[in-house]
Amino acid sequence: MIELNSVFGAFALLSSDINAWLYLLPGLAIGLIFGAMPGISITMAMAFALPATLYMEFLPAIVFLTAIYTGAGFGGSVPAVLMGIPGTSSAVATTFDGYPMARKGLHNEALGIALASSVVGCLASYVILFILIVPISGVVLKLGPLEMFAVAVWGMLLLGSLAGTHMSRGLLAGTFGVLLGTVGMNTAGFVRGTIGIPWLLDGVPQIPAMMGLLAASQLIGLINTTYLIDDEGSRKISFAKILGGVRQTFSHPTIIFRGSLIGVIIGAIPGVGSSISNLLSYSETKRNAADGDTFGQGNPKGVIAAEAANSSSEGGAMATMLALGIPGGGATAILLAAFAMHNIVGGPSFIAHNKDIVYAVIFSNFAQAILLFVVGLGFVYVAGYVVRVPLRFLIPSVLVVSTYGAYAIEGSSAGPITLWVFSVLGWAMVRYGYPVAAAVVGLLLGSLLEGNLLRTNQISGGDFIGYGLDRPWALVIFALMLGSILLQLISKRRRAKEEALSAVQSS
Amino acid sequence: MKTQLSRRNILKIAGGGAAIAALGMPSILRAQGAYPDRPINIVVPFDTGGYNDRLARAFAPFLQEKLGQPLTIVNRGGAGALLGHTFFLQQPDDGYTILCTSAAPYLPLNILTQDASFKLEDFYMVNLPSQDYTLMATNAGSDVKSVDDAIARLKADPGSLSVGLQPASADLVNFNILCAANQIDANAVRVVTYDGGGPARNAVAGGVVDVGFVGGEGFLPLKEQVRPLMTFDTRKRDNWDGAIVTDVLGSDADFVVGSQRGWGLHGSMQTSNPEIFKTLVNAIAAASQNPAAIEALKNQQLATDWYGPEESNKMLARTAKVMEQYIDLLKGN
Amino acid sequence: MSTKSGRKIVWGHLILLTVIVCVVTAYLLDARGVSLRTNNLLLVQPAAILALVLAALVLPGIFPRADSTEEAEINSETRADLIRVFILIAALAGLAFSLEVVGFDIATFIFMVVGLAVCGEKRWWVNLLFSAIFTVFLIYGYGTITPFPFPLTFL
Repeated sequence: MIELNSVFGAFALLSSDINAWLYLLPGLAIGLIFGAMPGISITMAMAFALPATLYMEFLPAIVFLTAIYTGAGFGGSVPAVLMGIPGTSSAVATTFDGYPMARKGLHNEALGIALASSVVGCLASYVILFILIVPISGVVLKLGPLEMFAVAVWGMLLLGSLAGTHMSRGLLAGTFGVLLGTVGMNTAGFVRGTIGIPWLLDGVPQIPAMMGLLAASQLIGLINTTYLIDDEGSRKISFAKILGGVRQTFSHPTIIFRGSLIGVIIGAIPGVGSSISNLLSYSETKRNAADGDTFGQGNPKGVIAAEAANSSSEGGAMATMLALGIPGGGATAILLAAFAMHNIVGGPSFIAHNKDIVYAVIFSNFAQAILLFVVGLGFVYVAGYVVRVPLRFLIPSVLVVSTYGAYAIEGSSAGPITLWVFSVLGWAMVRYGYPVAAAVVGLLLGSLLEGNLLRTNQISGGDFIGYGLDRPWALVIFALMLGSILLQLISKRRRAKEEALSAVQSS
Repeated sequence: MKTQLSRRNILKIAGGGAAIAALGMPSILRAQGAYPDRPINIVVPFDTGGYNDRLARAFAPFLQEKLGQPLTIVNRGGAGALLGHTFFLQQPDDGYTILCTSAAPYLPLNILTQDASFKLEDFYMVNLPSQDYTLMATNAGSDVKSVDDAIARLKADPGSLSVGLQPASADLVNFNILCAANQIDANAVRVVTYDGGGPARNAVAGGVVDVGFVGGEGFLPLKEQVRPLMTFDTRKRDNWDGAIVTDVLGSDADFVVGSQRGWGLHGSMQTSNPEIFKTLVNAIAAASQNPAAIEALKNQQLATDWYGPEESNKMLARTAKVMEQYIDLLKGN
Repeated sequence: MSTKSGRKIVWGHLILLTVIVCVVTAYLLDARGVSLRTNNLLLVQPAAILALVLAALVLPGIFPRADSTEEAEINSETRADLIRVFILIAALAGLAFSLEVVGFDIATFIFMVVGLAVCGEKRWWVNLLFSAIFTVFLIYGYGTITPFPFPLTFL
């Protein structure tokens, strides 16, 4: 699939304009800062920079915009780890273990792990993309509603493992989340549950609701605590420990590889992307880990799984954009607009005629990933100081920042009001033993589940099984899912047996 | 503290912040000089990245040049543009807020199906350069070879083909008109509803649905993966092969045009601020006909054709009228 | 608050569960009121019924035995702690609902002052100074990168 001529062409293109590389650093920095602001999406960061690229040459423009894309992709993980705020839906799973790590005083390690997994995930995704761009793009469009429904169900499996000690409360939280996720106009045009509020037509604003459930509720509960980390000695910002986290990441190559693969494949599906891939990767890693029970309490593997998947989704989305000319989300829509400004229109003919440009984009992303590591190290080092701010300053400040982010993403008070409602709900849920993460997963997947279940029903005329047998990819996804569950059951049983055996031997 | 540091950096990086800072000045302190004496907001009732957003961002530099004040794009997406349209009307009609929207079908839809608090006359369209149309298409490798073929199959068995489209859209109305004209029971057809034009087009291109009825301009990047069957317009558009609607349904064919996108003002401005109104209309006209603007927008596959206010408002009113006839269809299927 | 059988009632949990059940029931009724077609109820109806069944299963947790330690950690909280939480929640509500009415500058500043006070900052001058500086930074910082202006009164 790799054409050497085009590879050389790409190198020629990249070295033709050395100035293009000057945009790499500012692009990454803008992306990191925008991304770290809760509520400021990657799309907003890129829309902000788009006018500036109007007068640039093609190569610098693309390098600049994709650098913002890469930077913003990681930027969102920083508040997710340090404050449990998922600034974007792609950082949700990062909060599950990243934030508990920070609370335990492992913030340096958590940030190092997040950075390293992001960098490696991003690199891996472009390597996979480099090899598989054509076959991936061939499959993406053929995915129908049943396949998407299967992906959504796969994500829902996470509910079982998030439930914690009270299974019924966990499932109730998840089901409640799914229901809230279907509020508004559904895919067939029926409007439910809006109680006369126009902005609920589009459903419950997801990101403000997630920030409320996951972050604001925690902050409110922390009011009687003085610091994020109880132990004063652990509040240090240590470069060595950040690097320790980086090293730790590399001892889990399987998790990174699985995360990257899930990220690329899910990221390539238009409209799904990174918000689901991080959940799937987290769920699979937890199910396959020997210490799966400690996920959610600050297990580094959870952070690796989430970050490897969400950063590699970028590569997947780029594959769809380059190969098919289809924007999978807002960020790639802006990139396509930038391409168009320079008379380059994405699509199958583009990839056939301009392989050198495609490879140039891929190579410049390799450089970005490596540079992200350097810039990111500095960034997380500075950001880490958040743990030294007394909570009496941090709580109101972060609540205000979240409110602004909620406003920024919705463009009206709808965001802050949603944030408030869900932070009260989240606070009460945490208090009475309901896992808020389950509600978040339900909320995220609710409309995806409903829309695709509905479309499957429409397209099959109600004959799910007959239709399903004609959809090999759906069968593959369901088979993989079942296989993964079976494997888990088997390994769990084996582990229990071994434990019993060792217990007998030691006694 | 990290958040403060990053904010300082942003202030340094973003030179453009000055314009926004100026906006933050209390209104009482703003001198009342010749219009315009402060930045003007362009309300886009959709999120960043969509057609209107791209149109507004691409056109803004040229309009800015004519008006002599910076333009700020304000994205107010949500609820099928209802929120953005309402927000726009809530702003004073002093010429400091203008609108870039898909006037059709969203204004009539807001009014007909969403109990909007406004009327069509509250908006004045200066120019609607982008005139989309419904394209009936199928996957390039499909065995449905022509529109006649598709009609024949649906006539024989309405459940034989699945049809992808958006609910409450011009495309849905056009699909029903086609069915009615050919005695096909539209309710028996396997209609698959998508949340946006993009997903519906992807389903057509991937062969997930047998036939799609979706806005034609958006199909251009997927040209090689689809086979056009019929264009719902009286003339050929964008060099699509296949039939045009008048070939199939006769020269008096009833159909709805697709999205009509472009620039709007408060309708009330004509009487409350006639001078400013004239200034704005002239500026948009001049910028639309600026060769540099035409070139720049064409490169981004954005329309700049100048139809003028009279024609634009007439086109919109006509669309609204046809849509009103199909109100039951638009309200739910 | 013990009942005859030696069980107690966790009132907060009862309120939360009541809210969830009411929201789910209202949503189901609203959806059924819109249309009874499959295209409307395919997921919503079964999910709502599942939620109600699950809620019934949770019910015993609201009435734990008096000797159960399950909800013990909550009891260690003093009434004063809880009042502070409610003040903070009320202040956040004030911020969310008043932003667009009184302007971001005023609403933010007031929330910061109240928030800092309730979170335990006792030096009034530190409170006012930090609140003012933070408000200005936030408005210009977020204002710069947000694709629309914030409604303001003073700044």
